[in-house]
Amino acid sequence: VRSPLRYVVDLLAAAIVATWLAPIYWIALTAAKPESAINTAKPVFVSFEPTIANYALLFTRFEFDRVLLNSLTIVGVSTAITITVAVPAAYSLTRMRLRQGENLALFILSLRFMPAVVVVLPFYLMFRAFGLIDTTGGMILIYVAFGLPFAVWLLRGFLKDLPPDVEEAARIDRLGLLRILWRIVVPMARSGIAVTAIFTFVFGWNEYLYALVLTETNAITVPIQISKMIDAYSVLWGPLSAAVVLQLLPMIVVVFILQRHIVRGLTLGAIK
Amino acid sequence: LSRLAGVAARLDGFLPARRRRRSTDKWRAWLLLLPTLGLLIAMSIYPLLYAGFLSLQIRNMFSPRAAHFGGLANYMELVRDSYFWRSVELTLVFSITVVSLQIVLGFVLALILSRVRKLSDLLCTLIILPVFVSPIAMGLTWRFMFEPTTGVINWILAQLGLPTSLWLSGTRMALPGIMIADTWQWTPFVAMILLAALRAIPPEIIEAARIDRLSLAQMLHRIIVPMLWPVLVVVVLIRLVDSIRIFDLVYVMTRGGPGTSTLVASVYNYTIFQSGRIGIMAAFGFLMLVFINVLVAAVLRLLARLERRDRRAMAI
Repeated sequence: VRSPLRYVVDLLAAAIVATWLAPIYWIALTAAKPESAINTAKPVFVSFEPTIANYALLFTRFEFDRVLLNSLTIVGVSTAITITVAVPAAYSLTRMRLRQGENLALFILSLRFMPAVVVVLPFYLMFRAFGLIDTTGGMILIYVAFGLPFAVWLLRGFLKDLPPDVEEAARIDRLGLLRILWRIVVPMARSGIAVTAIFTFVFGWNEYLYALVLTETNAITVPIQISKMIDAYSVLWGPLSAAVVLQLLPMIVVVFILQRHIVRGLTLGAIK
Repeated sequence: LSRLAGVAARLDGFLPARRRRRSTDKWRAWLLLLPTLGLLIAMSIYPLLYAGFLSLQIRNMFSPRAAHFGGLANYMELVRDSYFWRSVELTLVFSITVVSLQIVLGFVLALILSRVRKLSDLLCTLIILPVFVSPIAMGLTWRFMFEPTTGVINWILAQLGLPTSLWLSGTRMALPGIMIADTWQWTPFVAMILLAALRAIPPEIIEAARIDRLSLAQMLHRIIVPMLWPVLVVVVLIRLVDSIRIFDLVYVMTRGGPGTSTLVASVYNYTIFQSGRIGIMAAFGFLMLVFINVLVAAVLRLLARLERRDRRAMAI
């Protein structure tokens, strides 16, 4: 039946999705408003002079240059380390036929379900003993530990999908194990590795509780700085909205890069 | 380790070539796992054991000298603490409500999206965005929108002639406010997963059902829901665990208040940490851990039973 009615569902779905994202437009709109248009009894939708003053204030008053750099360093470096450590482990768990491999993989996965509130206290005491509180290095270490179970588990799923023949051939050619990993496995699994790295980055970028307990001023990350902006007696919604927009902006890029891999990553590979 | 390596080397001489290759393979397998295992032992297992040890100690952060062994005293104190039971109750109410809401709404959304012809990829990519935004950013956005006098939500309600509310500033609507924010954030997650599962249903089955003129209700009841069962269980599990340990969203929206109206387990536990009562905090954390593990084990067992039943059904 060739009628325009067949796109009714498309329109309905588009309307739902557009409405669903309303809070995101609202905060982005607020971030572009001058102070006078923000806390009004009747919300201002269009009639205001757009301004970048709120974003400028983030950098001049709330140290966002330093805090952004902190977040990028901590999350970037910890993601790189996590992946470097997780790839060999995942390979070992998929291809090396260890007798306890399956149990070990499940055990690693179970660490993912651990409530952060349980281990944050031991971390705090350990960090205080070693002078790691409020240091970039300490935070990197925490985020590696936090991202690792997920990364190993997800990578294991991606490596399982690879055909084993190529490596077998390489093995017969007596290539060393590290060389097989680096020259054959890594290039073949590169999209899976990229997806895992992006997810690991996202979890670190959005992490809150560990950073709340284990940092004070030096090593604070973006979520901490955002939540500190509301501790002041008067809430400055303008700069706060701008900070929220800065924090979520990379995620818009992320969803477009991940696309079809999203479901797989979010369910720890349970659903492809 | 060197002694073990020595033993392995001696064994090498005895074993036939094939066996030898297997044993060196095994060594190398463990070697590849070593960095991960080392990190997990140092940064997950050890802290867990340490937390278990702390939970048996009477210990305050501000007077570390006075620490001593207390057996199960911390657990006993928690059991007698009315705030503890309040937080347990709130956590269960919160989790069960949001997970049910998200499953129902997510299922409807998935059904709609599964019928979309042209824009499917774009819409799926856009709707998942809330899942990727930090609970901090979204919690504050919702807090801004829930402001009683200047917030956009009360304004919209007033325009529609509906009663406005104090939302996060009042004890009655604070928890529902957080539930709305959480449901907004996680419904797309449920929807995307159910959509993936819906698409995995073989089209012939749907076609056959259509030829048999099954109504939508019959189709849901007889085909879609039974085929979606295992995926549904996984989604419920992931969402339940995440909502039981929820911290960020609640902390940033209400700090557990007003009063105790949103004092969920993790938030209450954090206030115990702030007051320095290390032993109690560790005990509380341990109880949460045990509860979550029991829950996960129970759900996984249910899943296994469902799968066995399915396989039997297939065989018939």
